[in-house]
Amino acid sequence: MLKTKPAHSLAGLARQKKKRRSKMSSSELPRKEANVLKGHEGAVLAARFNSDGNYCLSCGKDRTIRLWNPHRGIHIKTYKSHGREVRDVHVTPDNSKLCSCGGDRQIFYWDVSTGRVIRKFRGHDGEVNAVKFNEYASVVVSAGYDRSLRAWDCRSHSTEPIQIIDSFLDTVMSVCLTKTEIIGGSVDGTVRSFDIRIGREISDDLGQPVNCISMSNDGNCILASCLDSSIRLLDRSTGELLQEYKGHACKSYKMDCCLTNSDAHVIGGSEDGSIFFWDLVDASVVSKFRAHSSVVTSVSYHPKDNCMITSSVDGSVRVWKT
Amino acid sequence: MDSDEEDYVFFGTPIEREEEITNRRKKAAAEASGNLRALPPWKQEVRDEEGRRRFHGAFTGGFSAGYFNTVGTKEGWAPQSFTSSRKNRAEVKQQSIFNFLDEDEKAELEGTLGTSSQFDTFGFTAAEHARKQADKEQKQRPSAIPGPVPDELVLPASESIGVKLLLKMGWRHGRAINDSRASSLYDARREARKALLAFASEDAKAPCPADEPVEEPESFTVQPSDDDTRSSQSLPAFVCNPKQDLHGLGYDPFKHAPEFREKKRLHLLNDKQRRDRKTMSIKDSLFGSKSGKAAPGFGIGALEEYDAEDEDVYAAGYDFEETCIEDDEEPSRLGIESKQPSRLTIESKQKVVARDQGVLPGFKVASVSDYQLERFDPPVIPKDFVPHHKFPGPLETLKKLDVPSPPEVPPPDDSNLKLLIEGVAKLVARCGKLFEDLSRKKNQSNPLFSFLSGGNGHDYYERRLWEEHQKFGDQANLLLDGKLSPSMQKMTAESRGKLLGEKPLERSSRETTSSSVASGEFQLQFNLSDTFKKPDSFSKLPEVAKPFKDDPAKQERFEQFLKEKYEGGLRSTGYTAASNMSEAARAREKLDFEAAAEAIEKGKRGKESMVSTQPLDFLASGMQFTSGGLEQVENAHAEDLVMKKMYPRREEFQWRPSPVLCKRFDLIDPFMGKPPPAPRVRSKIDSLLFIPDSVKVAKPEEVAITNRDIPAAQTGAQMTNEDVAEQEIEIVAENVERPVDLYKAIFSDDSDDDVEDLNTKKAQDREKKTEVATTALNRLIAGDFLESLGKELGFEVPPDTPYSTNKANDLRMETPNSDSGNAKLSTGTYLNPGNETAQDGDSQKSKSIPVRSGGYNSGKHTVGLLNVSGKVNEDKFAQEDKKVKSPSSRRRNWSSSSSSEDERSRKHSKRHRYRSSDSYSDPSSDDREHYRSRSKGKRERSSREKSSRSRKHSKHHKHRSRDSPSRSHRGSERGHSEARKEKRKRRD
Repeated sequence: MLKTKPAHSLAGLARQKKKRRSKMSSSELPRKEANVLKGHEGAVLAARFNSDGNYCLSCGKDRTIRLWNPHRGIHIKTYKSHGREVRDVHVTPDNSKLCSCGGDRQIFYWDVSTGRVIRKFRGHDGEVNAVKFNEYASVVVSAGYDRSLRAWDCRSHSTEPIQIIDSFLDTVMSVCLTKTEIIGGSVDGTVRSFDIRIGREISDDLGQPVNCISMSNDGNCILASCLDSSIRLLDRSTGELLQEYKGHACKSYKMDCCLTNSDAHVIGGSEDGSIFFWDLVDASVVSKFRAHSSVVTSVSYHPKDNCMITSSVDGSVRVWKT
Repeated sequence: MDSDEEDYVFFGTPIEREEEITNRRKKAAAEASGNLRALPPWKQEVRDEEGRRRFHGAFTGGFSAGYFNTVGTKEGWAPQSFTSSRKNRAEVKQQSIFNFLDEDEKAELEGTLGTSSQFDTFGFTAAEHARKQADKEQKQRPSAIPGPVPDELVLPASESIGVKLLLKMGWRHGRAINDSRASSLYDARREARKALLAFASEDAKAPCPADEPVEEPESFTVQPSDDDTRSSQSLPAFVCNPKQDLHGLGYDPFKHAPEFREKKRLHLLNDKQRRDRKTMSIKDSLFGSKSGKAAPGFGIGALEEYDAEDEDVYAAGYDFEETCIEDDEEPSRLGIESKQPSRLTIESKQKVVARDQGVLPGFKVASVSDYQLERFDPPVIPKDFVPHHKFPGPLETLKKLDVPSPPEVPPPDDSNLKLLIEGVAKLVARCGKLFEDLSRKKNQSNPLFSFLSGGNGHDYYERRLWEEHQKFGDQANLLLDGKLSPSMQKMTAESRGKLLGEKPLERSSRETTSSSVASGEFQLQFNLSDTFKKPDSFSKLPEVAKPFKDDPAKQERFEQFLKEKYEGGLRSTGYTAASNMSEAARAREKLDFEAAAEAIEKGKRGKESMVSTQPLDFLASGMQFTSGGLEQVENAHAEDLVMKKMYPRREEFQWRPSPVLCKRFDLIDPFMGKPPPAPRVRSKIDSLLFIPDSVKVAKPEEVAITNRDIPAAQTGAQMTNEDVAEQEIEIVAENVERPVDLYKAIFSDDSDDDVEDLNTKKAQDREKKTEVATTALNRLIAGDFLESLGKELGFEVPPDTPYSTNKANDLRMETPNSDSGNAKLSTGTYLNPGNETAQDGDSQKSKSIPVRSGGYNSGKHTVGLLNVSGKVNEDKFAQEDKKVKSPSSRRRNWSSSSSSEDERSRKHSKRHRYRSSDSYSDPSSDDREHYRSRSKGKRERSSREKSSRSRKHSKHHKHRSRDSPSRSHRGSERGHSEARKEKRKRRD
């Protein structure tokens, strides 16, 4: 099926890439545990690299956000203010601000250095699952249990959302932003991208609840982790299903998936604590190892190096290197 | 004290008093004058009207408490005369809490304050009842002492002193110690009444309770409260019944049916009586039967407490007449027994039977089973019953289907007769037998209709009728089936049979065509095609030609398909046979059918030609015809695939990002300028920014134009032409990025300008008129010049360019013409670039006429016009090329023209300049003002103009940048204009 597809898509691109990397790719996968970041009490719900990959942030059930240096394994700072569990965190490209969201239905806009909350955005009628800054760090877009995506203005002092997207039919689990688009993945099985330039909403119905979406680094594809234990790769321009990645268990938890920084492999956690590496093109499991004792909630890949952090319900964040 | 003063005798002169009085007076006067007001409140004194200090407290206390600070009264002190309380002792009220409560509170408290019998299970009253009850119970039980124990023997122990006291106080057994009386007066009276009645009852042994109300004096009509009686009545019997039955503990089978309890008791009684003694009193047993309740009449004041409502109406049969104990026992018992005997005997008989049958000891067979299973035999199905419902059609046509077909008869020679027969047959088939009879009756004498009654052509008529019926039946079948099973075709008898491995029945294909769901249209065509062909052509389909034998439904469809393929010119709308199939399956089947049909055809031909077994080869080779089951699976698989392919499914919707979001994402709002979806107040910026959609609209237009232009252009110019077109697109695109108007929108206050404009307009209008005249004159001169220029260049220049906007509209209408290749151009469009350079060079404020007129148009048109004009320019150049052949000369021409234009427009603009105010509104817009309606749309329009203007500027930069290498002065000019622009921006 895939073979017949035109090569305009990522698949073709990746094939080239893969050709380039095939000899070393599997050996370069980060499979060695470099550090264990301990400090969270209870489940860690998300772990994210910052934009240059020197630091990482994690957040969890203990209502804190923690800033780490994953390469040296140092805990730098703790951000406490959330009233309930923190589900997602994102940092601006200039590392000056954080945004986080969680069970307390609020989005917190933090100052990284002082650790103070600059602003709280209230308005979601339910838990907030994911949050992202836009490119200019001027807008925070959050995805909530109330079936909406909301965009919050960081520049003005208004606490009202500047945009509410409520065309989703169910909980929005994940959100991705490009320069011009807002993309949300929802439990209603759709990945909807909202193009601000042309004012169109493009909805790709996958038929399965979408747990997490993640953009490929070239921006042409969307990786959507579905609750039927499969990760789907979608071509963004045409909406066709390029590949499905299976083998892991993902049925009931919010779990992340991502692509390596070379877009050669797809990484996904499993509910049994394993990490799966799939080949992007032929969807074969390249590597698989047990990383955590419990559900892997989040994976984040270093933007440049072969380094990966994973977080788990077991309360640890692990740093993996080649 | 004044009053006291009168009583006292004074000696000497009361100096002090005098002083006091004067003092008082003084003070009063001072008070009146309000001197004291100045004092703080705590220093002020309260005085009466005489000015005396009374030193009242807050209200009336203080010094002047009581009657002038004495215990006396106004009347003086006198002891009250003695009144004996003896006479009204009863009147002395015993205060109880009820005296201080409201009615509703009383109602509330009634339960809580009294001792509720509900919780008095172990209290005395209950115990008393229990004792009494036990007494009665004991009478029924077999006791050590045979025979009824006389009541005298079982005397209760003497009551305790407390009980005695209570009794003295009016309490009686069985009553709650509950002061529910509101007044003790009532109690007292009742006591008296009771005493009276007690005496009376001594005389008349048992006064009828019914008499009581009559006996009561009028004054006693205050009835005891219901609550009281009820509480006494509802005291539960605390009976230590030995457990005699086999029920579970606490289980009372007669809980809700006390009547049966009585009956049961009777049975027991009878048994007992039969067994040991006859002396058992039924009356007692009756009392015992009511043991669940407090026995009425006992422990209650015999007369008053017994109300009609206390006793259940169903027990009325046994009245207290029978309380005379032993004497009338027999007759009453007999009476009861006489009521019961038959049943008793029956029961005993049954019991005997039951014992015989070996019922478990302790159980007995229920006499009347309330749960009786009545069984019915299943209905007998008649032998000829067909489990398929045939709907009675409106006519009896359906029945006739079974009639064996009459032999085919050649139609009579007479064509008229044939037609008649056919017509009648059709009518009869449609309208029923009745029509036949009618027409027969009517046309008895008519020889033409003799075929009806067995004359000439009767056979043919019969045949025809049958055919018609056949047809009609089909149709009806179709209809019915269509109605009955719109989607239930999935499981037909055949398919079920196939599933079960049965051999499919061989059925006539014609009858089974009904399985398709036919639309009305299709039916019509079906009928029509039916009329065109021989009816039974396909029933004669050879056995060989049934390639889908093992799937009758499919075979049917195949036949249908064949029919549609080969019959009648009127093909049905499509392959409608299997509407329950998926598209893919249908398509595949159709392909199969086509192949099969072809094979059959081939076979036929083969048979005709060389009589071989050709037709069978498709069966041998083509496995795709063989099994429907396999295909089903395949279909399912295919559908699975289809389902899989269904996802991901892409849909697109309109979505409107909020302007702020666009701003924050550094994008241009795609819906800019469009009316907001919600009645939200939009900022000024939103309505002002107008660039992109006009650009978008312009683009395709442009392209179209270039396309059209290319063939007209000469080969030499073609490339440049295209280049220019592309460049222009680029330019336009580039312009999109320029936030000039955003800047303007933010920093210029248009609305204010508009207001100003409105104010100044009237004044300006007059000016403008003259202005218009002069510019018109000017234009005339310029027109002349242009004309000459045009002639020089070999163009036909229209005599005059429209100045007014009305004409500008015309101009707009014209432009397509000019696009289309003829050289008829308005000067305005032609001169655009020149004018603009003039502006650049000279003044930004002055606007050339055509631009102005263009500016009037809506943004879309403006852009279109502009682009067109640009294009036309290029076109012109191309044509110029044709003429002049050298680009340098062309440039020279152009520059000369533009420079001349410069001069002209400079003149023009000068005039404008001295006129125009320093406000933002430039002359051009001023001129426009009076063509514009003074509506709110103004603002938008002006913004549009601005945007278009800016676009023009930039375009010219581009042009110039292209041209500049050859012309140095242009560059300087540009620098100049840039500076200008900057200045202007600053001013803006």
